[in-house]
Amino acid sequence: MTTEAMLDDERDDAPRVGIPTWKFIWGTIRFQPVRYLFNNLAMIALMLGWQIPGLVSREFFNNLTQAAPVRFDLWTLLAMLVVSAFVRVGGIFGLIRTNVPYRFMSQTLLQKNMMLQILRQPGAKALPESPGKAIARFREDVNELPTFGLMSNDMVGLLVFSSIALAVMIKVNPTITLVAVLPLLGLVVVANLATQRVERYRKASRAATGAVTGFIAETFGAVQAIKIAGAETRLISHFRSLNERRRVTSLKDRLFEEVLGSIFWNAGNLATGVILLLVAQSLRAGQFSVGDFALFIYYIWFFTELTGFMGFLMARYKQAGVSVARMSRLMSGAPAESLVALGPIYSEGPLPEIAPIIKTANDTVDLIEVKGLTYRHAESTRGIEGISFTMARGSFTVITGRVGAGKTTLLRTLLGLLPAQSGAVSWNGQLVEVPADFFTPPHSAYTAQVPRLFSQTLRENLLLGLPEDSVSIPNAIRSAVLEQDLAGLENGLDTTVGPKGVKLSGGQIQRVAAARMFVRQAELLVFDDLSSALDVETEQELWSRMDSQPSAIVSDSATSGHAQAITRPTILAVSHRRAALRRADQVVVLKEGRIEAIGALDQLLVTSEEMRRLWQSELAAES
Amino acid sequence: MNIPLRQFWALLSNYLRPQWPKVLLLAVLILSGIGLQLANPQIIRYFIDTAKTDAPLERLLWAGGFFLGGAILIQITTVASTYVGEDIGWTACNQMREDLALHCLRLDMRFHNEHTPGAMIERIDGDVANLAIFFAQFVVRVIGSLLLLFGVLIALAFVDWRISLALAVYAAFALWGLIRMRNIATPFWKASREASADLFGFIEEQLSGTEDIRSSGATSFVMRNLFHFNRLRLAIERKAGVVNTFMVMTWMGLFTLGQMIALGSGAYFYGAGVLTIGTVYLLVSYTDAIFRPLEQITDEIQNLQKAAASIDRIQELFNTPAQIIDGSDGLLQSGALGVAFEQVTFSYQTNAPEPGAEPIHKQILQDLSFSLAAGEVLGLLGRTGSGKTTITRLLFRLYEPQQGQICLGNGATTHDIRAVPLDDLRSKIGIVTQDVQLFKASVRDNLTFFDRTIPDDRILAALEALEMGNWLRALPRGLDTELTSGSAGLSAGEAQLLAFTRVFLHNPGLVILDEASSRLDPATEQRIERAVDTLLHGRTGIIVAHRLATVHRADTILILEQGQIREFGRYGDLVQNPDSRFNQLLQAGMEEVLV
Repeated sequence: MTTEAMLDDERDDAPRVGIPTWKFIWGTIRFQPVRYLFNNLAMIALMLGWQIPGLVSREFFNNLTQAAPVRFDLWTLLAMLVVSAFVRVGGIFGLIRTNVPYRFMSQTLLQKNMMLQILRQPGAKALPESPGKAIARFREDVNELPTFGLMSNDMVGLLVFSSIALAVMIKVNPTITLVAVLPLLGLVVVANLATQRVERYRKASRAATGAVTGFIAETFGAVQAIKIAGAETRLISHFRSLNERRRVTSLKDRLFEEVLGSIFWNAGNLATGVILLLVAQSLRAGQFSVGDFALFIYYIWFFTELTGFMGFLMARYKQAGVSVARMSRLMSGAPAESLVALGPIYSEGPLPEIAPIIKTANDTVDLIEVKGLTYRHAESTRGIEGISFTMARGSFTVITGRVGAGKTTLLRTLLGLLPAQSGAVSWNGQLVEVPADFFTPPHSAYTAQVPRLFSQTLRENLLLGLPEDSVSIPNAIRSAVLEQDLAGLENGLDTTVGPKGVKLSGGQIQRVAAARMFVRQAELLVFDDLSSALDVETEQELWSRMDSQPSAIVSDSATSGHAQAITRPTILAVSHRRAALRRADQVVVLKEGRIEAIGALDQLLVTSEEMRRLWQSELAAES
Repeated sequence: MNIPLRQFWALLSNYLRPQWPKVLLLAVLILSGIGLQLANPQIIRYFIDTAKTDAPLERLLWAGGFFLGGAILIQITTVASTYVGEDIGWTACNQMREDLALHCLRLDMRFHNEHTPGAMIERIDGDVANLAIFFAQFVVRVIGSLLLLFGVLIALAFVDWRISLALAVYAAFALWGLIRMRNIATPFWKASREASADLFGFIEEQLSGTEDIRSSGATSFVMRNLFHFNRLRLAIERKAGVVNTFMVMTWMGLFTLGQMIALGSGAYFYGAGVLTIGTVYLLVSYTDAIFRPLEQITDEIQNLQKAAASIDRIQELFNTPAQIIDGSDGLLQSGALGVAFEQVTFSYQTNAPEPGAEPIHKQILQDLSFSLAAGEVLGLLGRTGSGKTTITRLLFRLYEPQQGQICLGNGATTHDIRAVPLDDLRSKIGIVTQDVQLFKASVRDNLTFFDRTIPDDRILAALEALEMGNWLRALPRGLDTELTSGSAGLSAGEAQLLAFTRVFLHNPGLVILDEASSRLDPATEQRIERAVDTLLHGRTGIIVAHRLATVHRADTILILEQGQIREFGRYGDLVQNPDSRFNQLLQAGMEEVLV
């Protein structure tokens, strides 16, 4: 693999936003201005505390050498050291007290704004990158803005310290001061020039690391294939070449970093050497006391710290810019400023309530019309093209077709989980403006082909925050043919299902998702292919129980006096199973993204070649 | 606290020994660095004392020059020792990664079924990286710090033994205090790491579940949980912050105490005429100098604990033995191979289940016997879970049957597969599964499984034979084109045909075909049909069939039901017999019978 190719993999860098980075930093400061100010004051107190030991040692040596009249005796000096320690501890106490909430609450704000925006996107296309990469925005990138904010306070503290130090030093000896301090400032320039190189080396070594870990994942993901091919040792020799590249790039990265680091953090030694040469004459002549010398050496370390820190801060500023760009890319479409939009983060007090689903008479469905729905996937030519059909209240529509015919894409586009490129859906004759917001309970509910459960209890997975007294879990369990499974679980509804529901079988996950759907008593129920995880009998059972699922009850108080007829819910399902096809009021046959035929099954079996083919040629589909 | 130094050494010495010259160089660099750090304050002492006499100015300038030279040398040794240390660490750890990876690859499928690829990254890369950090940091820094500490105490002993003793007592006390504080803080750090893990575990789940969240209208629930997990984390971080404050207090107190000891004793002994003013300065700067190593040592204790856990896991992995023992007797002849299963019984669970867990002892195959003559094709049918895939796995000895034996061979010379060396066995059987595993590597490496001894013209001929010539010519860099993992950019049919090419290249006597169940477009389907013909020519075949077209090709049909033979016979006989199960299947053509 070439270096260029590896860098391509690492091209994580999002296009920069057109707003300077400091506005975002200011955005986080504005969120907690008081805490930020206190942090600043604590930092200044800490740095003032650090002034004392240097002044003490100056007095101490001057006392010993009697270079100047004794102003403080030894005991006073030792007491001053203790006082200085207390001042510093106080400063640090203030820093930690403000740092922790400042950092974590800023992170929460950024996470909140990102998550809100992500959950406004069409659900099946919410992230512009893989969840594995997106999590890094929530974990690492959110840290950059508050970190820079806090580091700017460190900088202020160091500047206050340095100004005092500089004033004291100039008063003692201006020439020596300037000759010793000025070269240090040159280091800042070096730092700025070097950061770009650092980034380059860092990227190369990160890419090499990615290649190694990626290869491990691939290898152990394909371990059976490797064993079967007897390729174990051959794979390891490829692994060795990846390892070697990683060693070389990492060493380069490390060497450069170490050289830079040693220039910055050891510059104090060099400056000390320069001071020795400069003061030799005046120290001998007694114009410069040993106390002054001790103070100069003490101060000079803080100046190197200051210059090193400035270089560091500039690198972090760039990093903050990169992070802002990455985070705004994740919020696709929203203005970049909304990343730091102010709003509550509920770090104390009651958490926001979740309202029960209220279905009014306006929400009930009479007729759904799909007109000319089109969606093409960017990556391939696949998709759906000009799909139109209607669904009446209480009807059962089955979408069928070969693999890749566009069945799932159709469901997703209809529900707004993918953004339609053209076409529209109307509900009782009203155009649905934002399908992604509209096609949620109580209007519709959806069970994906591979539904996601969350690592909480079964109950929490069914409710997703709905007040439990507002819904009927037992009904939903029954409709989803889950009672037997539930009885087999150790803690019943309070059993935790594990990450992504791993503790359940594939069929159980699908039926839990179906139950989650029934809990919401939506008007339109949408199922993607249940057959991949349900056997024929269970699927049949599920369809027949659906008839008694009371979805069409209107729970609005205004109509509650009326008789509540239990009607069959309106169902839209992708399936190729005969059990579903036989039940269907209408079958939509898709082929290569277009409607091949539409109508009742019996009629289609006569008129549609594709329908006959699907119906007849089905042999086993083994998973 | 249990420091596994001996284990650490046992593990690492193997990997360090071949690099002994570099290790020696590292030792020299560390020692000279420490020497220089000890020497520099001495130069300042000389400088101050000399300045107080009437010695010529040149002496002072020389001293200043020496100091400057020393400072530059310190930088060089620091950089060099870091570089050499890292180089040694990387070389040793890469070797360890390779050994560990090879060892794990050779472990049984039972092992791999319990370890996800993500966990393997953690074991092979993460744990070894912890060790590398430990090596670089602990060996280089802690040993360096300790040497520096002792060096300072010895240098001070030359000045005055009482001061040295006082500082030794102080250092021991400070070390004790710092380590104690750190032990108090550890549980808080752990709790804060756990709180972060919870938060990011939650966020990760939401990010991969956006489709479900949106369609369930659960946005406000997700936001509420985001606030909730962040709130928990903040509470723990606040507590950890309080503990941190205590740590800093301890640190400041000890540091100030050291300064006071230095100033107090300096003033006292200067007044008594024991010390020169330069020596007092030396005393003060040495006292500052021992505090840094103290800090570093306590810092590294954290890494030590991490490394200890990693060492345990690495060793555990190395000590996991392979259950399947390599055969050594017979080599299989080339050419088509006959297959015989003799009373084979198999279950995936061999060991007693964990206490408390429900005993699942499902027999996948029960007393199964059948044979297939060399050069014939067997069509294998059955519902999911009937044992079809297991039969193919047993042939490769990915698992061992609990009873019975499996024989491969041609008429006169048949071998129990347990007697055949694994490499030989696996090179004589080829398989095409539904799921084609591709690596992020060149087309060539993907086809040959990184076997560089296979010449390009053989690969090209194989691709041509399987009608993939045009596909190859369309690639920008031919066989050198990089494929991405997960077969992105390849159609399902193309991926299948690549898998055929793989098998074709290693020319086995028995081919197993787990047919793709998903529907492909008719043109690709026909290409695959022709590829199957090419592949089965002159070989024995076992086809796990889903399509009628493929079943037509079989000489013999075996229908499995719950690990037992439901029906076994010649294709022609079964088709003729109206009562046969196979005949019913053909008539119905229905998935309901098979799924």
